[in-house]
Amino acid sequence: MINALPKLPEFEYIKPENISKATQFLSTHAGEARPFLGGTDLFVQMRDRAKEAKFLVDIKGLDGMNDVRFDPVRGLTVGAAVNMNQVIASPEVQDNYPLLAEAARSVASYQLRTRATIIGNICNASPAGDTIGACLLLDGELNVHGVNGPRQEPLKDFFSGPGDTKLKHGDIVTSIRFPIPPEGLKGTYIKLGRNRLSDLAIVGVTVIGFPSANLPSGYIFRLALASVAPVPLVVDRVESILGSEVITGERLAAAAQAAMDACTPIDDVRASAQYRKLMVRNLSLRALTEIWNKVKDD
Amino acid sequence: MFNGQIKTDIPTPIGESKTRLDAHEKVTGAAVFADDMQFGNGLLHARILRSPYPHARIVSIDISQAKQLPGVKAVVTGEDFPGFLGLYLLDRHIFCRDRVRYVGDPVAGVAAIDESIAEKALELIKVEYEVLEPVTDPEFGTGPEAPLIHPDLDQYKVANFILPQPGTNISNYFKIRKGDVDSAWEKCAAIIQRKYRIPHIQHVPIEPHVAIAQVEESGKVTLWGTSQSPFAQRNLIAQALGVTQSDMRVIAPYIGGGFGSKAGVSMESLAAAIATKVKGRPVKLLLTREEEFYTAFVRQGLVAHFKMGCDEDGNLLAMENKFYWDGGAYTEYGVNITRASGYSSSGPYEVPNVKTDSYCVYTNHPVGGPMRGFGMPEMHAGLEQCIDELAHQIGMDPVEFRAINCLKDDSILVTGSKMHPTGLSQCLEKTAKAIGWGTKANPSAPNKRRGKGIALMWKAPAMPPNAGSSAWVELAEDGQVTVGLGGQDLGQGAFTVGAQMAAAALGVPYEWVHVATPIDTRYSPYEWQTVASRLTWSMGNAIVSAARDARRQILEMMAEAWEEDEDNLDILNGMVVSYKSEKEMPLKDIVIYGVPKPDDQGWIGGPVIGRGKFMPDYVTGLDPETGQGERAVVHYTTGAQAVELEVDLDTGQIDIIKGAAAFDVGRAINPDMVIAQIEGGFVQGMSSALFEQLKYEDGYLQNPSFVDYRIATSSDIPEGIQSFIVEVPQDDGPWGARGIGEHSMVPTIPAIANAIYDAIGVRFEGPPFTSEKVYLGMLEAGIVK
Amino acid sequence: MKLHRIELTVNGELDRVDVPAQMTLLDMLREKLMLTGTKNGCAAGECGACTVLMNGEPVNSCLVLAVECDGSEIVTVEGLAHDGQLDPIQRAIVEAGGVQCGFCTPGILITSRALLDRNPEPTDSEIQEALVGNLCRCTGYQRIIDGVLEAAELEKELAHV
Repeated sequence: MINALPKLPEFEYIKPENISKATQFLSTHAGEARPFLGGTDLFVQMRDRAKEAKFLVDIKGLDGMNDVRFDPVRGLTVGAAVNMNQVIASPEVQDNYPLLAEAARSVASYQLRTRATIIGNICNASPAGDTIGACLLLDGELNVHGVNGPRQEPLKDFFSGPGDTKLKHGDIVTSIRFPIPPEGLKGTYIKLGRNRLSDLAIVGVTVIGFPSANLPSGYIFRLALASVAPVPLVVDRVESILGSEVITGERLAAAAQAAMDACTPIDDVRASAQYRKLMVRNLSLRALTEIWNKVKDD
Repeated sequence: MFNGQIKTDIPTPIGESKTRLDAHEKVTGAAVFADDMQFGNGLLHARILRSPYPHARIVSIDISQAKQLPGVKAVVTGEDFPGFLGLYLLDRHIFCRDRVRYVGDPVAGVAAIDESIAEKALELIKVEYEVLEPVTDPEFGTGPEAPLIHPDLDQYKVANFILPQPGTNISNYFKIRKGDVDSAWEKCAAIIQRKYRIPHIQHVPIEPHVAIAQVEESGKVTLWGTSQSPFAQRNLIAQALGVTQSDMRVIAPYIGGGFGSKAGVSMESLAAAIATKVKGRPVKLLLTREEEFYTAFVRQGLVAHFKMGCDEDGNLLAMENKFYWDGGAYTEYGVNITRASGYSSSGPYEVPNVKTDSYCVYTNHPVGGPMRGFGMPEMHAGLEQCIDELAHQIGMDPVEFRAINCLKDDSILVTGSKMHPTGLSQCLEKTAKAIGWGTKANPSAPNKRRGKGIALMWKAPAMPPNAGSSAWVELAEDGQVTVGLGGQDLGQGAFTVGAQMAAAALGVPYEWVHVATPIDTRYSPYEWQTVASRLTWSMGNAIVSAARDARRQILEMMAEAWEEDEDNLDILNGMVVSYKSEKEMPLKDIVIYGVPKPDDQGWIGGPVIGRGKFMPDYVTGLDPETGQGERAVVHYTTGAQAVELEVDLDTGQIDIIKGAAAFDVGRAINPDMVIAQIEGGFVQGMSSALFEQLKYEDGYLQNPSFVDYRIATSSDIPEGIQSFIVEVPQDDGPWGARGIGEHSMVPTIPAIANAIYDAIGVRFEGPPFTSEKVYLGMLEAGIVK
Repeated sequence: MKLHRIELTVNGELDRVDVPAQMTLLDMLREKLMLTGTKNGCAAGECGACTVLMNGEPVNSCLVLAVECDGSEIVTVEGLAHDGQLDPIQRAIVEAGGVQCGFCTPGILITSRALLDRNPEPTDSEIQEALVGNLCRCTGYQRIIDGVLEAAELEKELAHV
């Protein structure tokens, strides 16, 4: 059945003066009001009638939302309204968190990335979100302003299902902070789409690796998967397999197998569960091998 | 000698890659497309209520509440419009009357002062349906268990060359019985028997369909819209509405891509019908992209059974084909695809024994309409793979096999007609050479496999035997020329090429020629449709005829004025010249006011206006039992395409590294534009091979948006496509020209499939060859784990 | 329905428009400012036919609210030519044969213009990546890419003049 409307439905546009007023409006109008940044997911969903809102609250102009700040102690803080092209182009990101730029660069198209944001990608909470894996593995932490004031939300347990997060009515994510990455960290994001570029992730694999003297293998590897579970999935077994013994080709393959075993993809119009599982295995192996070759040469 | 130039010095624009004449408008945003047209504050907006079921009886419709919504000016249903609609078979109403036959079938229409009110009104319309069992497979659709989608098939008006089978879902049945297939099998050294399933895809022009209609109190209708076929739309919609053709006017501005989706009649009739209820006000209907995917024409699906055999020397001896065309809910246009594929069912080969049964089958899928290739891509997809397999089976190189069997001048065709001179062998040779046939480069990485594949094609313009073109040529006080024509420029360059031909035939520089656009049935001369790759040839002939008529009038006038023989006169570069007396006079001085007689004794001549027409007079019917006839079609364009690709063993992804293609276009009027068609068609063909499929489940479309109906992006194209123009002239084409627009998309699926087989030894039941399909195929074949 | 009054610069001209909240930048350009060069292909940010420059960067105008554009600088295809002279990208795409039906062309020109502004000597693959959000169904893209390369050359020459 054809549900999509020809145009956006009617709503009211609210541009609050400051963050407290924004929070207040959103909680007072709980269920009727939505915050938005780039709107690239929200407007499409509203035209599709998948989401409704009487009020759209534009939170882009608020304090602290538009900066990228790097500090050698606190790490990188990316304001919620910073668009993905800005993240990709930022020297602080390129120098210190190149994985974040790589993941952002894989999203959609240049013109969509002028509006899309990392925070939007996170709050939309699609398991296919391209930047979420990098944010998880880089230990990203959200700065949230809610009815009770500011708080931090680590990304680790932030997602509860497709489109569902820990956020409550009135919450506004103002920025995401990444701590200083461990010395020698290398990362990659491999995205399998139906076109060479611009598609959603049918399967996405994010991997980081870095030396860690405490471990028998001498390295910590972490792996996150997109589009193969109800939420963006970090596969902890990968870390233990590649931490507990000297790393060989067989260990890498075992880790890739563990990633395949951990994921729970579904059959949908884009791909079958069977294919997705096999791609998790193959692309995890590819990503882990790539990062292993980089860290061991360092 | 004139200005130091002799006749052979003066360049004719034929064969020159002139810059397209609409370029400036298109790069500045000035080009007006249908949705850009302004109609003022009186414009009403229409929205359509569509069937949510693939097959159902309409029990009742209650529009009373919708009518009362403030801002609503009209609500209509099928009850208001009893007329039938159709090009070859009148099996369609403008709005459904007693039943709905596909998800999206129009049930009611609303016109309101804005789109959102119209949309709200739709929600107030109550329709009661009795759901019926849908037919979703064409083979099943021919069987006794399938419910009848058109029980009144025998009562529909139909063109005399279409053969519906009453009491069934078969709206056309075309047969070829040539030679004796049954006894030929024993003589074959190798036989291949295969089934291929080609899914529905869609044209996906970047510009969605839009139509604006206005009906006066007098009943006169004006229709503006995205149209490849203004005259066909006038004819069919006028008939459906019960208006005489001369009281209907269709105006067609620039089109943002057609590929057949904007040919014939589709959503335009809805706007026209609604407009009859709001006399004097324009009503605009614009399809959303989602509506495009759900309700615009689709390419028919095909289930094809091939059986072919050859002797030990590689000579094709026999072919037996069964084509089940998934024609969709209405096959008023698509019935001809059944016929066209039937009379082309040997592929571009000489085969002495052929048996073909080609069925157009109603299903509860959307309407299968004309799409670039008109059945040829779907048919060649399987046929050209079988040819490869047959070659392999007798241990012969596939290029050599094709070289032996491909059509040559005077080959006997599957219809018993004779082949005209053709450069198909040259196309094969050039393409094979360009792709480096016979050599294999190393894969670019250990996890890749490399392969090359080639395929041939042929296609004739599929149209009624009496599809005509006409043109006029007039000049202005500046000596410049305006050409009136009825064909549309979809981007292929019809206006530019038309201008080049007029310039050459008249004797003026190309830069002096304008085309009277937008096409407007009130002022433009008749053109059957812009389809079938027929314009350069057919409309070209009409333009040349009109230009020559104008030229004759001018030379007649000057012959009298100069008291010379017309044979000594010519028009060169806009100047009338006499080879005998060396007199000359610029056109601008004569084409409006004529020339004065000497001594103020009066005037000779007057306004020059040339007219011309072209309609082939030699196409014969075909025997309904055997498909044999003297001349089935006007001509064929033939060609070849090859690809080199790599398969990624880890993911199944296909990377098209390079392409090569050659087509015999008779004469390239504008070579650059011919090459642009070759390249564009390759990429659209590649897109259909690798990405595209309308995914229906029990008649419900699962991927109605760009998110999940993928088409080729800039990142998907090969490193290079080498394109070759072969020119074996068409005897009745202008300067020998014939068409190219569709042909470049025809052989791409099998070229890619053959290359995949070369790389990994696997074939598939049909496209798209998505990475998943390829990977799981390799898994099943034990190539990967 | 509440209207928002916005002031913005479009193709170098100051404009003031009253818009409802849900009106997109695309619809405002086409319906209120009568700039119909920018096209509607999908209304979902997928096809790129609606691409315009907003504060120098390409955006899908079908996914930007007009009300968000208060104080912005917008450039559409109508604003690429200057003093009757076509922009090098416009000239080059014609010469390269990268225009057929012309419907994707305005979006392509805008995206390409922005690419050349930030990267005056792009490689083939950089151009492909930059244009991936502009769908074309007619040309097969190669001539568009050739046009961008040619425009880069043209601009290099002009810079040395």
